Amino acid sequence: MRDYLPFIVIGLTTGSVYALAAMGLVVTYTTSGVFNFAHGAVGMVATFVFYSLRENAGVPTVLAMAIAVLVVGPVIGIVIDRVLLRRLHGAPPSSYVVVSLGLLVALQAFIIVLYGPATRPVAAIFSQSTFRMPGVNVGYDQAIIVAIAAAAGIGLMMFFRKNHLGVQTRAVVENPELTELVGSDAARITTFSWMLGCSFAALSGVLLAPLLGVDAVILTLLVIQAFGAAAVGRLVSLPLTYAGALGLGIVASVATKFVARHPSLAGIPTSLPFIVLFVVLVLSPKGSFAEVTTTVARRVRYARHNGHHLPVRTGGGLLAIAAVLPFFLSGSHLLTATSTLAFVLIFASLSLVVGLSRQVSLCHAVFVVFGATTLSHLQQWNVPFLPALLLAGLMLVPVGALVAIPAIRLSGLFLALATFGFGVLAQNLIFSTDFAFGRRAVVELHRPELLGISLHGDRAYYFFVLAIVALGVATIEVVRITRLGRLLRALADSPTAMESIGINPTASRVLVFCLSAFLAAIAGGLLGTLTKVVNPASFDFFQSLLWITVLVTAGAATLGGSVLAAVLLVSAPVVFSGGTFLEWQPVAFGVAAMLLAQAPNGLVGLFVLPDFHRLASRSSWRLGSRRAAERTVSAERTLSKAVA
Amino acid sequence: MALLDVEGLRGGYGTTEVLHGVNLRVPSGCTVLLLGANGAGKTTLLKTIAGSLAPSAGQIRLHDAPIERWKAHRRTRAGICLIPEGRGIFRALSVRENIAMQVKGRGVDAALELAASYFPVLGKRANQAAGTMSGGEQQMLALAHALVTNPELVMADELSLGLAPVIVDEILDALKRMRDEGRALLLVEQYVERALELADYVYILHKGEVVFVGEPAQCASGEVFHRYLGSAA
Repeated sequence: MRDYLPFIVIGLTTGSVYALAAMGLVVTYTTSGVFNFAHGAVGMVATFVFYSLRENAGVPTVLAMAIAVLVVGPVIGIVIDRVLLRRLHGAPPSSYVVVSLGLLVALQAFIIVLYGPATRPVAAIFSQSTFRMPGVNVGYDQAIIVAIAAAAGIGLMMFFRKNHLGVQTRAVVENPELTELVGSDAARITTFSWMLGCSFAALSGVLLAPLLGVDAVILTLLVIQAFGAAAVGRLVSLPLTYAGALGLGIVASVATKFVARHPSLAGIPTSLPFIVLFVVLVLSPKGSFAEVTTTVARRVRYARHNGHHLPVRTGGGLLAIAAVLPFFLSGSHLLTATSTLAFVLIFASLSLVVGLSRQVSLCHAVFVVFGATTLSHLQQWNVPFLPALLLAGLMLVPVGALVAIPAIRLSGLFLALATFGFGVLAQNLIFSTDFAFGRRAVVELHRPELLGISLHGDRAYYFFVLAIVALGVATIEVVRITRLGRLLRALADSPTAMESIGINPTASRVLVFCLSAFLAAIAGGLLGTLTKVVNPASFDFFQSLLWITVLVTAGAATLGGSVLAAVLLVSAPVVFSGGTFLEWQPVAFGVAAMLLAQAPNGLVGLFVLPDFHRLASRSSWRLGSRRAAERTVSAERTLSKAVA
Repeated sequence: MALLDVEGLRGGYGTTEVLHGVNLRVPSGCTVLLLGANGAGKTTLLKTIAGSLAPSAGQIRLHDAPIERWKAHRRTRAGICLIPEGRGIFRALSVRENIAMQVKGRGVDAALELAASYFPVLGKRANQAAGTMSGGEQQMLALAHALVTNPELVMADELSLGLAPVIVDEILDALKRMRDEGRALLLVEQYVERALELADYVYILHKGEVVFVGEPAQCASGEVFHRYLGSAA
């Protein structure tokens, strides 16, 4: 037991920081109904401001901390509530997920542009000298952090119990309209809770900085620890969230001592929050996670021509362009074009989930990676290429089902959470095993020979990819117009109505999720065979988040959107040489996704031809309309007068 | 000068217009009974006056000051109180916290005492979660929301819906007491005969328009109801 005490102390310290982040997340979620995926990113920005003030501007530590926690955090909270969320009022839940993802992507990328990706060490904030407790030495800094978190937790609970504003906040959670009727400004109370929540995120980031250093990626992922703890509190209970965070911190810390002896389990401690999140989601009976949401049924705006017929003209035109393109390209440009094609399939498969079913999947990159690694393994066992590619896709179908079934039955938000969890879990735990990359952390793929035609040449391989992608996209377009497609569109509108006419919403959603995983894995196989070498860094889970913002920016509802998304992500950097574009690209996608979250079909939806049918049917345009008739009459009158 | 003056009010939900130009006056200290069949627009009218719904045209004046652009909470603070249809309470909050929504600090005890003077049961249940009380007790608490801020105009939407007759008596007595204390009331009520005893004026709403304005005595014969509501109420 004595051996474990130091680990428990460390765990209590980190757990306390997680508790601050998680309680902030719970405050904003319960009061606004918006689950803020960018919670960690908000803390990260505040922490960088703290770092810059302290290291570069020479501001005293206490003042820098106060500015970060009491000014920067709340200001970001105001911006999120007033600028980003208020205009979304009445949008479907998936739009809210997209906006907070866009914010996460934009903030993280922006800070990396400013500060670079390297971790910077941060000097201790509090005294690191220790005092003796029975059986263990405790640092003053550790004790202070635990005390701050405990005080903040108790303060928060007292605030909601005793304070006038706290009681009003609870009232807004229950019924914003009635809150207005009894004379409280519901909008101001919601803004305040965002200020409070973001301030907690900032505090946890600043306290974490000396332990981990300032690093845009690591601090953004603080939200992950918060997810796990908040899941223990079912996303609504503050005391349970606090306890859950402490428990997570302690168990993760003690586990590091265990896994030191078993290197293969090294990913366990960092993955613990997700294991908890996932287990809680899987074990929760339906209805136990009441989704707090302020969204009201309002007419969702749809893209015109969305899924009532096959886009034969668009598809044919694009296919024709794709078919002649390789004759004008060579070298690296041809590789980029091939990669773009594969990404069209990735985005098209993602659009099945995001655009058609209006669910958000945040582990698409994992499917792509597994597609590539599985294909590589099958090639090593001398399975012929085409069956191997098909098998690689099919292998992912049960995986997709396993991820989707527990979450989809709860609600849209929880699918996003579970897939987010699965994405990070897979990266931490499975990527290093022999199922994926193995010890060497790299897999190799070689291009095959089919029917006596070698695909080793880049142009030949391009046409092979084009054929497979065209087949995949055609499958997706057919799904859109079949009964399954109609069901999914209807489900996105009203699951209750669908259940009342005897349709199981879960089955169709899981089905489409599996199809999406299958096609993503195929695309992964094609991409891997293109680059011939794939390593875990090729598609980390941040890509999954980025892809969502790219797809929403381009347009998630139609084929044109998927093509534009692939072009914007893969081909655009070729045109703009230099690193600056690559750095700013995710920032742009993040911001664009926030702006376009509610647009019916992203950029593609903005650039459609006018509806000539409707214009033509307007009476003033039609021959023989009333105005034309009046003109005729007046002309006749003039004529008859002239004759008289 | 009327306390509340509604002129040419149009409004509804989104693009669906429910109110097609409603005129209505509530003089200070008077009780107005609003009648109409299902879907006539009674609830919509009350919600638009209270500020939960935005009007598309027309004027709402309180003491001659136009308030139709004010947000709901500002109208409430100015003295208009709507007790909405259903149970207008915060179920997760205790009775005391429900009352504390409107009064700060030391005022809470006094407000709770005032509420208990109308409905003694609320005093006994001060620390109980409001959602765990009986339907009648919940409705008393909803009415208490209107008491503690001392509003000039209380609008009540179907207060007696789904309550036992004994409770209805208690609720209507409380309304009578509020009227006797000089508050103006605008009532939507299904117990028409009982409500007529309270009323100074009667408005009948039909398909979003006012089709009858008169005094309760004119309604005594039942002929008015027959003509405008299609039945002898």
